[in-house]
Amino acid sequence: MTVFPHLLAGLELSTLPQQLVNGILLGAIYALIALGYTMVYGVLKLINFAHGEVFMLGAYTALFTSWSFGFTEVGNKQDSSPGILILMLIVSMTVCGVVGVLIERFAYRPMRSQPRIASLITAIGISLLLQYGGQLFLPSSPPPSISDKVNPFKGNIEIPLKPADSALLAQAEQLKAKVTSTKAAYDEQLKSEKDSFNLSPVGKELRTASQDAERDYRNAIDKANKDALVITLPQGQVIMLVTTVILMVILTWLVMRTTAGRAMRAASLDFDAASLMGINVNTVIAFTFFIGSALAGAGAMMNASFLGGTKIDTFFGMLPGVKAFVAAVLGGIGNIPGAVLGGILMGLAETMVIWAGYGNYKDAIAFIVLIVVLLVKPGGLLGSNKVEKV
Amino acid sequence: MKFWGVRLASILGAVAFCFLLEAVAQGQSSFVQRLFVLAGLYVTLAVSLNLINGITGQFSIGHAAFYQVGAYTAGFCASRFFAQMNLPPAAWLLLMMVTSAITAGLAGLLVGLPSLRLKGDYLAIVTLGFGEIIRIFAQNQEALGGAYGLTVAPKIQYVWAAWLLAILCIAVCRNLLRSAHGLPFLAVREDEIASSAMGVNVTQTKVVAFVLGSMFAGAAGAILAHFESFVSPPMFTMDVSFTIVTMVVLGGTGSITGSVLAAILLFYLPEKMRDFTNIPLAGVAAAFVAISAAVFAIRWVMQNFHGSTKDRAIRYLGILVGAVVIWFLSKALLGNVPSLKENIDGSKLRMVVFSVTLVVLMLLRPQGMLGHHEFSWDWVRSKFGKPTVKEATA
Repeated sequence: MTVFPHLLAGLELSTLPQQLVNGILLGAIYALIALGYTMVYGVLKLINFAHGEVFMLGAYTALFTSWSFGFTEVGNKQDSSPGILILMLIVSMTVCGVVGVLIERFAYRPMRSQPRIASLITAIGISLLLQYGGQLFLPSSPPPSISDKVNPFKGNIEIPLKPADSALLAQAEQLKAKVTSTKAAYDEQLKSEKDSFNLSPVGKELRTASQDAERDYRNAIDKANKDALVITLPQGQVIMLVTTVILMVILTWLVMRTTAGRAMRAASLDFDAASLMGINVNTVIAFTFFIGSALAGAGAMMNASFLGGTKIDTFFGMLPGVKAFVAAVLGGIGNIPGAVLGGILMGLAETMVIWAGYGNYKDAIAFIVLIVVLLVKPGGLLGSNKVEKV
Repeated sequence: MKFWGVRLASILGAVAFCFLLEAVAQGQSSFVQRLFVLAGLYVTLAVSLNLINGITGQFSIGHAAFYQVGAYTAGFCASRFFAQMNLPPAAWLLLMMVTSAITAGLAGLLVGLPSLRLKGDYLAIVTLGFGEIIRIFAQNQEALGGAYGLTVAPKIQYVWAAWLLAILCIAVCRNLLRSAHGLPFLAVREDEIASSAMGVNVTQTKVVAFVLGSMFAGAAGAILAHFESFVSPPMFTMDVSFTIVTMVVLGGTGSITGSVLAAILLFYLPEKMRDFTNIPLAGVAAAFVAISAAVFAIRWVMQNFHGSTKDRAIRYLGILVGAVVIWFLSKALLGNVPSLKENIDGSKLRMVVFSVTLVVLMLLRPQGMLGHHEFSWDWVRSKFGKPTVKEATA
């Protein structure tokens, strides 16, 4: 640490817990997308490059659904309900699932007998096609965003880790009376003024007094809160995390407890043997694509509607897609718990980079992690290192 | 003696061709000159990527990174040393091409080393990531101009330099393929394990391919920097890499001739499309429908029809006619959809055309236009009914 003091100059320990929590929230979304990559890779040994674009289409679907409920940019609909959110989630998941199955059926299935590079090129082609073709048909400039009003959960949940200095806080509270009184006096004066931009000397004096009192109060509060540690969680993001966990539980049940899941595991273990055992591998693959893409759709819907003001354009899925792919590789591609672990770690890595003051490099960190993982432990954290046999 | 005669003649011919292009370009507008230079650069990039992708079989999709390293090297040196060196522009450009080739070659070494442990799609992702890292790095370095970019002081706009580099690149790759030095590259492409069992140094071969390929891309970058007299990170996004990959794949991985043709075609086509400013969106959507229908019909014929070539050709012709009919019908149908009533610019279709090319190509002809075939005078002679050299000597 002492060797590179300037590299770590931006570190501030007091913001670390908040950033860690942010990292986990971000990582949950990455984990959802990474599951799609990892499941498809597990069965087909194919990097589904178009997965990020499925994510993008999910965000657009959520946008259009919210528009159809009247939450347009110019619309004045105010009331939202959790029901609308659930409906948006279901529509996004369904549309993405269907898109994923269609991509598999018409682009990847014909490639199955070709060398793997051919499917990789097809996947890149589909991804570019959805990005640039989508630009022609979807609203993208200026990039729309889902209206804030869709989300009925606006408040924050605050978890105090260390309380503020109570003595200083009490002092600050004493200043508050002055703030109210000067403000009231200024407001009173304002009524007799002609316009607020051209105040009389008395008005100016009152305004200055009010502003000074306000500033003193803020400073005192800040001073009192300097040592306090509070983790702020927007309610929307908590719901996001809960939904993610629920979806993952459902996925685990689906993969480990159902016939379809058993078929999926069999196909990923040995494709040919599975088909010899009477498993319809085409159905299994379509099912895998449906589930994976639906999870991406869920992630997209939550990302676009709970993180207020997220701009949606046709490149919306590119970076999350790449980062989620890195997450899948980090956890061990083909390994479902690995994808979740990798997603969380990627989210943490990204927020840690921002925390260390290298926010400009937050998109590069994914690739750096990827290169390091592939060089040090190509199988990923939970994967196995397979040796290629002749 | 004859060998050296032919060689000397082809070198002279190549140089003459470059200066002929220069002479042709001189009379034209600056826009046309730009097309000439960029076409030459894309030929270099495509052929050098083909050395990595097609000939050695290491699937790299981050070629823009080396292009960028070269361009930034030239830009950086020009802003610091050009005034002191007092060189004529042509000599400076050559010096910069060599310098950029060396730095890009070092970058290639850096990427080539991980490629020893990775293959296929993993390698592709790493090269892609490397490209992004380089771009983001340049974007955040004040010394390299940050997000704004670098202004490159002397503007050197020689058409011949770009094409001489392209021809040099073609010649190096072609001679490599024809000589014993090139055999390991092909062997590694076909089967790594088998070739290492036959005594091929797989590691060395892969690294040499990466370094050589990236050196040419770096030299191309130097020309670009001096031609545009400006370099900035957005000039080297993933799109550029994908464009080059599309050229290689379209031309046929492993075929130098194919790469050259595809580079010129894919460079020219989007530039031509800029001329069309009012393309109805419904027509584009209809084209998607028609192309998808035609592709799957052709695939069906390819798989299920085993008749004579003539009958097959008739079926393809039928599909073509059908596709045009479908296009007209769906255009009329889609024309009524209100959101498709806009008109768009042809320049917006650039990457769409590339992506459709990639997908359609993979579905119908995964080996590319030319596959592994190369242009040769023998082939031309055989078309005129003359015996090839092999047949004549046998």
